Amino acid sequence: MTAADVLKPAGFPGAPTGMAGRVPAGTRLAWLYLRTRGVPAGIVTLAVCGVLLRAALHWKSSSDPQQFPMIVEAGAAAVIAVTTHGPFGEVERATGRWLPVMRLLAAAGMCGLAILALQLGVAGESLNEGILVLARNVIGFAGLGLACSLFTGGLVAWVLPLGYMAFCQYALSEAWNAPWTWPARPPGDRGGWIAATAVLAVALLAYTLRGPRTRLSDNP
Amino acid sequence: MSVLSVPPVRAAPSRLVPPRLVRALWLELKRSPVPYLLPLLAVFFYLDPLRTADGYPPVWTLRASVIGRDVLYGFSVFAAGIAAWAGTREGRRKTADLLATTPRAAWSRLSVALAGTLCWLLLAFLACVAVLYVQTALQATWGGPPLWPVLVGAAAMAMATVIGFTCGAVFPGRFTAPLVALGIAVLFEIGFREAAAFRGALVKHPSPWAGNVPLGVRVHELLSLNTGTYALLSPMNGVPSVDAGVYYRVAPDLSIVQVMFMGGIAVAVFGALGLAAGLREPGSAGGWPVRLAAVVLVACGAAAAGTGFALAGTAQPDAVAGGWEIPALHSAASDQPINAAPDCTSAGGFQVCVDPALGFDLRSVAAELDPEAAEIAGLPGAPVRAAEISSTNGWKAGIYGNPPVFEFNTDHADTVNTEFDGAPNLEGWQTELRQGLLDAFLAGPSPAAGLDPAQQAVRDALLAGAGAQLAQESYPPPLLPAAVAAAARRFEALPAGTRHAWLAAHLAALRAGKITLAQLP
Amino acid sequence: MNVEMRDTRRSFGKNRAVAGVDLQLGTGVFGLLGPNGAGKTSLLRMLATVLPPTSGEIRLLGRDPRGAAARREIRRRLGYLPQSLGYYPSFTVVEFIEYFALLKEMPSSAVPAAVAAAVERVDLGAKARAKLRTLSGGMLRRVGIAQAIVNNPDLLLLDEPTAGLDPEQRVHFRRLLRSLGGNSTVVVSTHLVEDVGTACSEVALMSAGKVVFRGTPDELTARGAGHEVGDAPLERGYSAVLAEARS
Repeated sequence: MTAADVLKPAGFPGAPTGMAGRVPAGTRLAWLYLRTRGVPAGIVTLAVCGVLLRAALHWKSSSDPQQFPMIVEAGAAAVIAVTTHGPFGEVERATGRWLPVMRLLAAAGMCGLAILALQLGVAGESLNEGILVLARNVIGFAGLGLACSLFTGGLVAWVLPLGYMAFCQYALSEAWNAPWTWPARPPGDRGGWIAATAVLAVALLAYTLRGPRTRLSDNP
Repeated sequence: MSVLSVPPVRAAPSRLVPPRLVRALWLELKRSPVPYLLPLLAVFFYLDPLRTADGYPPVWTLRASVIGRDVLYGFSVFAAGIAAWAGTREGRRKTADLLATTPRAAWSRLSVALAGTLCWLLLAFLACVAVLYVQTALQATWGGPPLWPVLVGAAAMAMATVIGFTCGAVFPGRFTAPLVALGIAVLFEIGFREAAAFRGALVKHPSPWAGNVPLGVRVHELLSLNTGTYALLSPMNGVPSVDAGVYYRVAPDLSIVQVMFMGGIAVAVFGALGLAAGLREPGSAGGWPVRLAAVVLVACGAAAAGTGFALAGTAQPDAVAGGWEIPALHSAASDQPINAAPDCTSAGGFQVCVDPALGFDLRSVAAELDPEAAEIAGLPGAPVRAAEISSTNGWKAGIYGNPPVFEFNTDHADTVNTEFDGAPNLEGWQTELRQGLLDAFLAGPSPAAGLDPAQQAVRDALLAGAGAQLAQESYPPPLLPAAVAAAARRFEALPAGTRHAWLAAHLAALRAGKITLAQLP
Repeated sequence: MNVEMRDTRRSFGKNRAVAGVDLQLGTGVFGLLGPNGAGKTSLLRMLATVLPPTSGEIRLLGRDPRGAAARREIRRRLGYLPQSLGYYPSFTVVEFIEYFALLKEMPSSAVPAAVAAAVERVDLGAKARAKLRTLSGGMLRRVGIAQAIVNNPDLLLLDEPTAGLDPEQRVHFRRLLRSLGGNSTVVVSTHLVEDVGTACSEVALMSAGKVVFRGTPDELTARGAGHEVGDAPLERGYSAVLAEARS
């Protein structure tokens, strides 16, 4: 192979040879960005979470029906959190303006995919109060994960969503009312929605602008 | 500054030099990521287990139940996650190639890292247990800290840590740590749910520690539920009754099989780590002896876990001391009652006695019973004192003996709900205790049938006369019919002396069910 | 002889990284030159016992590394610095070197002195207690060298050891190499021909998995007479040999 071969217009992996079309640079960049963040594997993992949630609904229990879904929702948010890590460290930051845009789109997209994956997983089953509670919890937990990545880096950002989930399990059993315990709140509770959405909004903004924490030792 | 200017280690001939592995372990302890997680664990411990325990009466067994149910849940999730993180270190930092050139087997090297992580996590767990036990020691009136819940908890922590570390070492990807933490949370939730479902199927009380499974219930009827054995092996216990471990020692049978099961899994997974490390580094030093050791560990661990599982399947209710016994492990010594001199109020007047472990409750129990006792003092069959007895053998509260003594137990006057998670219901307890005395006093020849309307009206009138509220809507028994409530108000409105005199004259007929509502004054 | 290789080959699928190499090395400093993809790193990894050969024979320090016990003994007397050095950012310089000293099964009582000596030899005494994450790339490279020499190895394998070092440090490092070569077999894989010229007593040039030249640096220089590609005599010799091998 020579450089001339490499510089030919490239299609997507697996594109049939002889394909004349160019892939737009933005699409190509987005695809490469997602690969560096492990998003394809993350999507598969989210699908597994959906299956897990479906299986869990079949287990009989006398405990609160919201407990198990909360665990899986936090797990999905933890998966989103670790996809904030990039393997390039500071090298990537010394580039143009596209990185914050891709961060925003990737994080928001993963939130949507997580909600979709979990909802698809439980399609046809009775999930406490339905997609609303699921969406609210995923949004809030994902916000915590994004916020955590600002301080700990992406790879350890799963700690805060799962830690908050453990705390909210207790809040659920104690029937706490504070809006900041949104996972334990009923579906129509406006305060819970406001809290979860606010957490995601603030964290998403900060994450978009600053990105996850990186150190010199993260450079390859 | 030069390294030579740093005071060197003075390896005097008489000074012991730590072995290599100890030095390597010290490095791992110094640089472990676990300490960064300790503040989060401390916050979790305060918000959930410590506050939950603080809401329970200061009885050792009751407080210690928080370890398995509350502490372990959060700690194990983080233990597994951070251990997985530690296990991915060689993959994340790309040191595998360099480390492969060292003579120590990969398993040996990974074991040191695992030991460092486990030491910190166990230290955190034991520190929390110490806080819990010190808090209880300052409040309890009798007994001492049970050690079996701590051993079970340590085994669970070790299991979660080894599983997490092994997953991280074998799959050093970015998703390993959160997925392992999620998996452990799911496992514990499954154990929690199965334990709850199992206990929900018990005939009387949801907590096997109370031992309120009726005698004669065959074990296979309980364990034939497919959750039975798993439920028994889960450290996520229900809330035991208040007097668990008070009148009889809690048999360690179940704790032993739990330690065997979880410890066996930990050992087997540790052996699997050795096999996996050998596969990952085919040229790894150590050769067949290391592989053989790994296989032996896997086999021994699996055998221990399997034995624990099989033994748990033979569990049966302990008819004497309550809880569960496993015939192969049971010791007759645990069926011997604990002899402890009861705590009593002063002998003058209506004396109330409780077990010394429940001595913190003596004053409040006496405060509840004294007014009711005064209402019926001197009447035929009225108890001259009250004594608390064990709830483990299904003994029903009532008035027994000559002179008559009101015998009650914490099952009859439980300070926790029958809900699985447990919560104090002080109002319910007070109501039950007072009603219990009067029910026993007024009941006819068949107390199981309950009180008839006239008896109910007299009971409620006496309760009100002693300052208690009439039966509440939300607490069993159900709403009183209007006629009964009206009769109770009428009877209560009488002067105390008149009530007492009427009862002296009509008590036998009232007990025999021959008095109607209309006949009440 | 500390290193004996006979018709050693290593393939990765269809890619023949090492295509039949014969080498016998005693004490001294031995340079390994070659373009990217010539097979230098694969050769070094085989000598480091982390990559088994596809075929051929290797004996290191008089032992066959295929046996577990022999391999363990070889690794106790081996020092290796890979091209890409992984490290633990939270470890200090001393801790990192001590960690490898312990893994190399050095006697416990000898570890502190050995670590101190290694730190001094790479001139990192002032940074002994600094965490690795605070060090520059060149300093990290010196830490890597220190961990490779902490056990006074009989066989020392260095892959691009001077990458990131400043000129003064490179001079210091070459002096270190010469001192190490007095008692050990040192194999240095590098792109920097001046490292080879000043520190190595013998040099081999690899191309496409084979050794296409073996001799002294002066002999390599002589091969470059009349060749125009290269800014220094040794470079011209290097280019000339490669051009000959490819033609």
